[in-house]
Amino acid sequence: MRYVKWTLIVGWLLVVFAVLHYTLPQHDVVRIVNTEIRRMDFGENSIFWASEDVGTDGTTVNRDIRFIEAVRPDGRPSVYRNEDTGWGWPPYLKLDSSNLQAEAADLISTRDAPIWVAITHYGWRSQLLTIFPNAVGVERVDGPDVKFIPWLNIVILTTLALLCLLFWRMWVQFRERTIDPLVGQASETWDGVELRAQEKRRIWRRWLDTWKRKDRR
Amino acid sequence: MLFAIARLILGAAVILGVLYLLVSIYARSLRREALEKEWAREERAIARDAYVKRGMVEYDKSLKRRALLLIFIVPPVVVGVMAYMINT
Repeated sequence: MRYVKWTLIVGWLLVVFAVLHYTLPQHDVVRIVNTEIRRMDFGENSIFWASEDVGTDGTTVNRDIRFIEAVRPDGRPSVYRNEDTGWGWPPYLKLDSSNLQAEAADLISTRDAPIWVAITHYGWRSQLLTIFPNAVGVERVDGPDVKFIPWLNIVILTTLALLCLLFWRMWVQFRERTIDPLVGQASETWDGVELRAQEKRRIWRRWLDTWKRKDRR
Repeated sequence: MLFAIARLILGAAVILGVLYLLVSIYARSLRREALEKEWAREERAIARDAYVKRGMVEYDKSLKRRALLLIFIVPPVVVGVMAYMINT
């Protein structure tokens, strides 16, 4: 039973971690080498794609997706999609994919004269599923080894932790003030029932005793 | 697009509504407990129930209680500002 409990807890924590890791923004320092548009037909990976441009028809089965191709300082490639998230999940309310694509194209550079940029993105890259992180913003930085303090993530995670604490405190308060008194009442009632039953038994016994012959005692 | 926005607003309203309900119940409960403890701290002429009831009536009118309505205001404003910043 203990193993089941811990498996469930660890599994749940893993799911929470995965969702947060997928959804929260991260920064990559890269050099943009190309921007392009490709038509994608979504299959089993469709959950990892966001939404069509806000305002356009979203009922088609496939659509063109903007991509930003980049190279990391160590030479490894990294490819981003550039999609609106619109009014849905994840709640980035990103509506400016077209503008972002123009900004990214403006920052294209060669290996000899690199322009380093920080791409803010969420999501994962997986060759197996053909999924790409979604670029949210692009900003020019001084060099390939700038470091970022993830303020937004700190704020979001702190808020989530505070919410968890709040719900826990709420539950404790509810148990203390509402459930425990009810349980106490129930056991009090039960005690009352016992007492009354004992009293009844006593009276019954006494009445029975009245039938016994006195001289036997 | 209007449908999508309506869905977002409706979803946010439901979530914030539930949160508001829970928080307001919790805050009331805390206040009631504090009043009960306050009553017990010293000898009083007024009965416990009456004392707590009076305190709760006052609490319902207080600014502190109304400040809970900020639950409906702060998150949408924060999200709105962030959305604006992301898109410019």
